[in-house]
Order: sequence, then C-alpha cells, then structure tokens
Amino acid sequence: MSMEYFAGISDALRLTFVQVMILANLSIGIFLIGMYINLKKWGMGSTGYGLEPSGSIFAFPKMLAYQMSEHAHIHNQSVLETFFLDILFQRRILQRSPLRWFMHFTIFFGWMALFALSLAMFLVEMIFLIGEEVGYAHSLPEFLEPVVFRELLAVPNDVFSYILLVGIVIAIYRRLFMTKVREATIAYDSILLIGLTVITITGFVADGIRTGRFWGFDMPIEYAPPAALFHVVISLLFCIAYIPFSKYIHMIAIPLALLANKGGE
Amino acid sequence: MAKREPSINTENFTAVQLMELDSCSRCGECVNWCPTYDASGEDPGLAPRDKILRWREYMNKSYGLRARLFGPKQISEEEIEEFKDDVYGCTTCGMCATVCESAINTVELWESMRANLVKRGNGPFGKQSAFLKLIGEYKNPYMEDNANRVNWLPEDVKVEDEAEILYFGGCTAELKQRKLALATTRLLNKLDIKFTMLGEDEICCGSALIRTGQYFINDTAKENAQKNIDNIKARGAKIVLYACAGCFRASLIDWPRLTGKELPFKVMHITEYLQGLIEKGEIKWEKSIDKKVTYHDPCHLGRHVGVFEPPRAVLEAIPGIEFIEMERIEENQRCCGAGGGVKAGIPDLALGVASTRVDDALATEADLLSSACPFCKRNLSDGRDAVGAKDLEVEDVVVLAAEAMGIDLSDTPK
Repeated sequence: MSMEYFAGISDALRLTFVQVMILANLSIGIFLIGMYINLKKWGMGSTGYGLEPSGSIFAFPKMLAYQMSEHAHIHNQSVLETFFLDILFQRRILQRSPLRWFMHFTIFFGWMALFALSLAMFLVEMIFLIGEEVGYAHSLPEFLEPVVFRELLAVPNDVFSYILLVGIVIAIYRRLFMTKVREATIAYDSILLIGLTVITITGFVADGIRTGRFWGFDMPIEYAPPAALFHVVISLLFCIAYIPFSKYIHMIAIPLALLANKGGE
Repeated sequence: MAKREPSINTENFTAVQLMELDSCSRCGECVNWCPTYDASGEDPGLAPRDKILRWREYMNKSYGLRARLFGPKQISEEEIEEFKDDVYGCTTCGMCATVCESAINTVELWESMRANLVKRGNGPFGKQSAFLKLIGEYKNPYMEDNANRVNWLPEDVKVEDEAEILYFGGCTAELKQRKLALATTRLLNKLDIKFTMLGEDEICCGSALIRTGQYFINDTAKENAQKNIDNIKARGAKIVLYACAGCFRASLIDWPRLTGKELPFKVMHITEYLQGLIEKGEIKWEKSIDKKVTYHDPCHLGRHVGVFEPPRAVLEAIPGIEFIEMERIEENQRCCGAGGGVKAGIPDLALGVASTRVDDALATEADLLSSACPFCKRNLSDGRDAVGAKDLEVEDVVVLAAEAMGIDLSDTPK
C-alpha cells in the first residue's frame, strides 16, 4: 500500500503519509508567506514610470498587466510567442550560449518533468486513498492503483532523472573548472546548485536502495524508506519553501520579466 | 527606541523593475558585452549584474524578510556613494538588455536607479548636475543663446513657417555640428520637400536629463516635452524628422511617457525618410563618393528603437561607396561611449569606449566611419584622434547623402 512508502525503519523514525502531508503543507505555507513578502517588496514600486511608489500588493500585477499591454518598439511579440519560445524553449539563452542553454534546458526540463511526475503520483495516491475510504477504490482502473502507476512512471522517472543529472554535472563543471564562472560565483549561486545536487543525488540513492541498482550503493532495503523520506523532505523544502528566499526565485521572476518585456530587447 | 528607517527607498522604481532585480540569474552575459566595464579595465563595480546584485541586497536589507522581522539593516553612505559612481559609469547603450537572458530592461533600470539617487541627494555625477540649470536657463545644454539654433542658416535655405514636415534639429546639430543641420535642410530643399523648424522655440529634447536621472526635478523634462509638442503642433506638422538619434529616441519613447499622451504626429529618423524616397526613385545622385565606408549604429537609434536598416540603405544607395560592416553591428553593436551622460560626467571613460569602437572601424580598413547621430560623431572623432587614426574620416550618413546629391556644405559656419 502506498502509505508504507513513507514508513520509517523503526517506530521512533516512523513518519506517516499524514506527516509528510503536513510537511508539504508547511512548505507551501512558507512559500506563500515568502511570495507575499516578495509581492509586498515589489509593490514598493510604482504602477507607472515616474509615479509615486504604490506600497500596494496589487502594484506588481497592475504594472505587469500595463507593460504586457503596452506597445513595444522592438519586439512587439505576442504573449504566446513569449511563453513558448522565450519561457519554455529559453531562446534567449540559446542565442547567447548553446552549451549554457543545453545545461539550463536539461535542468529545467528534467526538473519540471520530475515535478509533474511526482505530482501525478501524489494525485493517484490521493485518489486511491480517498477511494479506499469512500469505497470506490475497487472500481478504479488498474493503472490508477499506486503500485501499478509507480511502475508505469519508472521509465520516465529514470529518463528525466538522467536528463536532470546531465544538466547538473555541466553546471557543477562550469562552476568548478571554468575560471571566469568560478571567480564570479557567490553564495547566492552556490546554494542553488548545492540544493539541486543534493536533491538529485538523494533521489538516485533512494531509488537505488529500493530497486537494487548500483546507485543504491548496496545499502540494505530497510534504508529505502528513510532515504526516500529524506529526499521528499529536502525536495519540499528546497523546491517549494525556499524559492522566495533564494536564487530559486528566478524560476518565477524570469518568466515574469520575459512577459513584462515581451521577450526582451 | 525609534524604529530604524531603511537606508534606501523605492522612489522612481516601478513594481516590475523591483521584480526584475530578482530575475537576474547572474549568467554574466552582460559583463561580457558591457563597453564601459571593458574600457575601465574591467572595474567590477561597473559590471551590470553586480549593480543589480547590490541594489537587490539593498532592497532585501531594507524591505526583505529579515528587515520585516528585525528592522532594516543600515547601508553606509560610503557604499551608496560608491554605488552611485558605478551606476553613472554607464552609457545606457542597452547592450546588457540585448544579451540579458532574463530580458531585464536594464537601461530603464539604470535610469530609475539614477533618478532615485538624485532624489536621495547622491546623484547626478560631476558636470551632469549643470544640465538642469543650463537647460532651464538656455533651453539647451551648451549655454548658447537659443536664437542661435537657426539664425546662422545661409539665406538660400528655405524654411517654411508652417508645413506638414518639421525638422527637429536638436541642440548638438544646431549649435555645435552645424554641418549636419545644414546638410539636412539643404537636402530637404533640394528634394523640394517643404519643411518647417522650431527655431528658437525649440527646447532640448530632454534626453540629457532623462538619461542622467534628473527628468523629474521641477518637471523640467515633462514641461519641455509638452512645449515642444505644442510648438510642433502649432506649426502644422504631421511628420517630425530627426537627424539626432538621442532626440529621436527621446521623442519616440520618452515624450509620450512624460506627458502621458500619444504624440499627435509621426516621428521618423531622417534616414528612414530618405530610404522611402530612395525606394521611390525620388533621389538623384550627382556625385560619386569613392570611399570605403563603414557604419556605426547609434544605440538610441538601433538597439533602443530598432532602426538598423535605413541608414545602411542610404549608404548603399550612394554611388561610389563601398560599404563594409564592422564585426559588431546592429543589436550587437559596440557603443561609441558618449551616451548616458558619460561624455559630460566621465570623459576619460567615454574616450576609452570610443577608442575601442574606432579600432573596430580600423579593422575593416574603411576610409570613413559613418553614423547617424551627431553625439556619436563627436565622440568617435575624439576616439579617432585619441588612437591617432588621422586618415579615418568620421561623418554623418546625412552629410554623405547631401554631398552625393551635389550639395555644397563648404559654407557651414563654425
């Protein structure tokens, strides 16, 4: 049963599905508070050039909407073009450096895909759990059983994990071995990469222990639940809670800047 | 105990600009391309991404989570003064915006930082502080009697009192580089295009005040923009022509923003207008200019508003010109170094940037380095002199076009 996935190795370490849910909600709560603080901070600006600072939490969405509707003298491109080519495809990075684009795109693509798969797994577990309580679980199609669904996700999970790993390896290489990049690196940059790396490695290790693959370092199967738990906890904290307070905010701010400036100059 | 006040405020920033501070991924592209960072010997303070980082830190110290919980963290005045020096060491060329992977509108961010620092009492920089007084008193930054804008025009130049086309000469061409103004007026005369000018009713377009963060003081830039608009309307103009990239950019982008209204006329750079005439076959060339010519895109004409092709079309149409491009052109062009108040505030830095651009031109083995802005011409000429490239001529596209049309400019007054 899905709940066992989160079980600890001993009663003392045991963490249930409910506790993980609490942690997830706590992370979302911290994220929301952080975003509120950011919106308040951004709202210290005005809603038009040369106007007085607003101080309203609505100043940012108002100014964003104004800029998005304003005629641009150079790239007066549509929101759809900005969304697909600049936000999803990250054309501006590709124009500057194909290597950096490849690195960033693999991290972005791997990360978002794994996030989507985790979310899908979570939803299936919820549907099944509620189904068991309410009594409709037996009428669900077979693929919506958590065990079956997890197996279905096994290959895509592997593929996107490798994609993410490739991007992270390039990022680490650049930070460590490219002099110009290394010299310009500050804690603000390092924390992002360290967080990503830890999440990815713990994900591989947790999977390796469970499946017996080599990246489990032959650790006993009993270690699988706490390893998975550690991965989940750190992912929730880094992927959600820490976003507004760190360089992870670029995941939100860059798409907004691209939209505001219609893909840029 | 009195609550500590933040060391900085958010005056003159828009909400989107404050968000843009958080969207810098510190990729370093801006640093690779910044002309003043390069010309300064890679002074880290001038690196665009580090300016963003510093102001973001100031924002977080003043209004971030920690500031909300425990009160703002103080920023020393020395640090803010140093930041001011760095933010004024920028020509607002916009190269950083072009290469920014996050699409941050950096030019306007720097201008907002400058305006904020002026309001705070730190800016502007050096001689730039004279702009406001000079423009207020003389209506131009050159301390010239405003009547001198057009009273020197030779008698053969026919300027209408009213016309559908108006030539907005600009302070630099009318008061300092009169060859360009004379070339433009005679060229229009020769094409039988009836045009008018504002004459002594013309007021500085405001570019110098806007770029240096002084536009809001006494609403001078806004009032001057409105007066220019009203005077242009009063002369019945439907199309306004510019041979100065700075004035053109100010009219196209800054005037509507300052006045809060769309312009009641169309604005065009003269090269756009000439390109149209060339395509219609309405220009008769009378003289061949047998020179190898390269072209420098003015930042305010190219990157800022996207006019890249018309000046090239004019040059390529002139008989005898062998047109050759420099390595860095159009949106990737290297700035001449004059803009953003740098020429007035930090002339050595402006000269350093200009010298690099002249080197770009010399690499093409061109005889002549052309541009479409009198301010670029001035700084590129200084750069040419600084590198000792005596044989390299620096001239405006409009002057070349006028000469190729057989117009004599030898009587240009000093």
